[in-house]
Amino acid sequence: MRKTLLIITLGLIATPTFAAGKHGGSHGSESEADIDRTIRFEAGDMWFDPEGLDIVSGETIRFEIANTGNLEHEFVIGDTSAQEEHRKMMLEMAGSHGESGVHGGHGGHDGHDMAEGGLGSSMPAVTIAPGETAELVWTAPENAGDLEYACNIPGHYEAGMYGDIDFQG
Amino acid sequence: MASSRVITHPLSRRQILKGGAALGLGSAAALGLRPSWADPWGQTSVYAKGVEEGPEVSLAIRRESILIDGKKARPFSINGESPGPMIRLKEGQDAVLRVTNLLDEPTSIHWHGLILPPGMDGVPGVSFPGIAPGETFTYRFPVRQNGTYWYHSHSGLQEQLGHAGPLVIDAAEREPFRYDREHVLLLTDWTFEDPMSVFRNLKTAEGYYNFQERTIADFFADVREKGLAATAEMRGMWAKMRMSSRDIADVTGSTYTYLLNGHSPEENWTALFRAGERVRLRVINGSAMSYFDVRIPGLKMTVVAADGQPVQPVPVDEFRIGVAETYDVLVAPEDDTAYTIFAEAMDRSGYARATLAPREGMAAEIPERRKIADRGMEAMGAHDMEGMDHAEMEGVADGDMEGMDHSTMEGMDHSNMQGMSDERSRMNANGMLAAGAAQPGSRYDQAGIGIDPEARRMLVYRDLKAFTPWPDRREPERELELHLTGNMERYMWSFDGKKFSEVSGPIHFNKDERLRLILVNDTMMEHPIHLHGMWMELENGQGELIPRKHTLNVKPGERVSALITADAEGSWAFHCHLLYHMDAGMFRVVKVS
Repeated sequence: MRKTLLIITLGLIATPTFAAGKHGGSHGSESEADIDRTIRFEAGDMWFDPEGLDIVSGETIRFEIANTGNLEHEFVIGDTSAQEEHRKMMLEMAGSHGESGVHGGHGGHDGHDMAEGGLGSSMPAVTIAPGETAELVWTAPENAGDLEYACNIPGHYEAGMYGDIDFQG
Repeated sequence: MASSRVITHPLSRRQILKGGAALGLGSAAALGLRPSWADPWGQTSVYAKGVEEGPEVSLAIRRESILIDGKKARPFSINGESPGPMIRLKEGQDAVLRVTNLLDEPTSIHWHGLILPPGMDGVPGVSFPGIAPGETFTYRFPVRQNGTYWYHSHSGLQEQLGHAGPLVIDAAEREPFRYDREHVLLLTDWTFEDPMSVFRNLKTAEGYYNFQERTIADFFADVREKGLAATAEMRGMWAKMRMSSRDIADVTGSTYTYLLNGHSPEENWTALFRAGERVRLRVINGSAMSYFDVRIPGLKMTVVAADGQPVQPVPVDEFRIGVAETYDVLVAPEDDTAYTIFAEAMDRSGYARATLAPREGMAAEIPERRKIADRGMEAMGAHDMEGMDHAEMEGVADGDMEGMDHSTMEGMDHSNMQGMSDERSRMNANGMLAAGAAQPGSRYDQAGIGIDPEARRMLVYRDLKAFTPWPDRREPERELELHLTGNMERYMWSFDGKKFSEVSGPIHFNKDERLRLILVNDTMMEHPIHLHGMWMELENGQGELIPRKHTLNVKPGERVSALITADAEGSWAFHCHLLYHMDAGMFRVVKVS
């Protein structure tokens, strides 16, 4: 089982998003110490378990997402409008007819990337092949509006593959 | 229920509706204003009101006076409802369905799309003798599937008069999508005429219900556009085919009132939701003769199941539903506003309509109806007129319907023609195409007549893709090719040119063989072909992930194929699901032994 580690720090408004990714066991020096908690996610056809997430601003979360379905899925964190932009883009990439289900949603990178969310913003994202587990490290911002996690491969979000992220306290 | 319906009171229909609303939704249903399964709040807030929950269900068939579209009618009823109540079963149950015939004629119920023992399939003369007046027949079968299906009479033309209803099987395991609320949308085509006289009219006067025939004005318009010679030639071609190019449907809105959950467009049945909810719509085409194009302006629909079987989700704006097909779609209305559920008849002679709204009494704009389509060259297998080679057209015009040369048909399909070398590379050792490959002559990437593919994203058969391969992954051992044939003028419909009354015996499937059924439509109309007892895996080019269906729409001039695992020993009906086509002879028995 391949593991991918991606460290994302989502800064305050107007702060450029900073992302760092490492593969295998050689984690970045700051990663292990800075992680407040690890959350295991299951990505099935067509759902995430859990279906919602409570977070505290500023906490750093390591997501371990296991794809237990038959199809490729992605796990993208972003606000609802950026997710929608990303979905539109992916639908266009899929073409109008024929091959539904885009493979390697983020341009053939090896599992993780930043997903384009329109207006130059980008979202932490990871693509997970069936049977594989991927990791994503993310620090919750101070103020981020309507955040959700989603799979934006055409049809997947619409079938229910998303969950709300609620800020506590 | 029946008795409450015949109470005579001086109230106008409007007052009855108001009164019903004031008494609560349950009372409205008790007054017979809607089948009770068609409750506006859907499954999540109302349980078992009028829904017949399995595993043991009793159904009584009657003929009674019920208002349809506010007018007196005498449909068939099932437990006092027409269309009948929803039967709700659970995967894993052993269903016991007792059907009592309170008519003065024999009847039957076929459980459409269910895999069950041959004696429980409900086709008189094939599975069992039928249910005589006064008798009760008990259907017993294990429920080993889930999804959206329906049931209907398989006796004569009873289905035309409301002898049908939804059948929903809840899944034993998690389904590949999630939703907050669900509604069943059952489409039917009601006629106030006696179905026997509809059939007689079709027999004696082709085009009886078609008021959209070309006129002399159309002729001059054609001459302006295409020139005299081309126009004359096309007219000649249609005349030779004994058809009019405007024969989109043979029974039309001139006699039909299109109903959604038993309600006419004016009655505006309402399905309720709360903004932000994800709503599953289980759409069933329980019509006798009508295809519909379904859309909800302002909402994207994500198709998640076809014929009860889950498919990889496809977001679309509109889908065409053939007679007897079912599609499950998800919609996510974000706004606290009303949306029109618009199901336009394929021939554009009318529509069924309901409203998806956060409250009762709301309505949204009804979309402008599209113009009647002209079969033109589309019917001949070509996507656009420009791509049409003149020589090929002559080839077709010279052929009679029955005598139509298949090679010509293939040659005409520019849009989907595969190169021969490509073809050979996909063939297996037996010289047959590899399992799952699309046949040349198929048009799975087209929705069909009267659809502008540029106008909105339309579901096509090519989109349908299973999640996992079906269990039997053997290559087909043999191919069986059947032609869908007909003569519109004499209203004769058949397989391979022979009506059911003329064939010598059943079509034989060897027990447990893997076979490829190839259907070639030699006629100028769509035919929804239904096989009982076994799934048809539609070879739409999705390789191992081909979808399985109980009913296949075959477009005019099209050649489609399906893989079948002949594991169901016994005799099964196989027919066109256009009721009058079936009755006219487009029906065969398949014997698996």
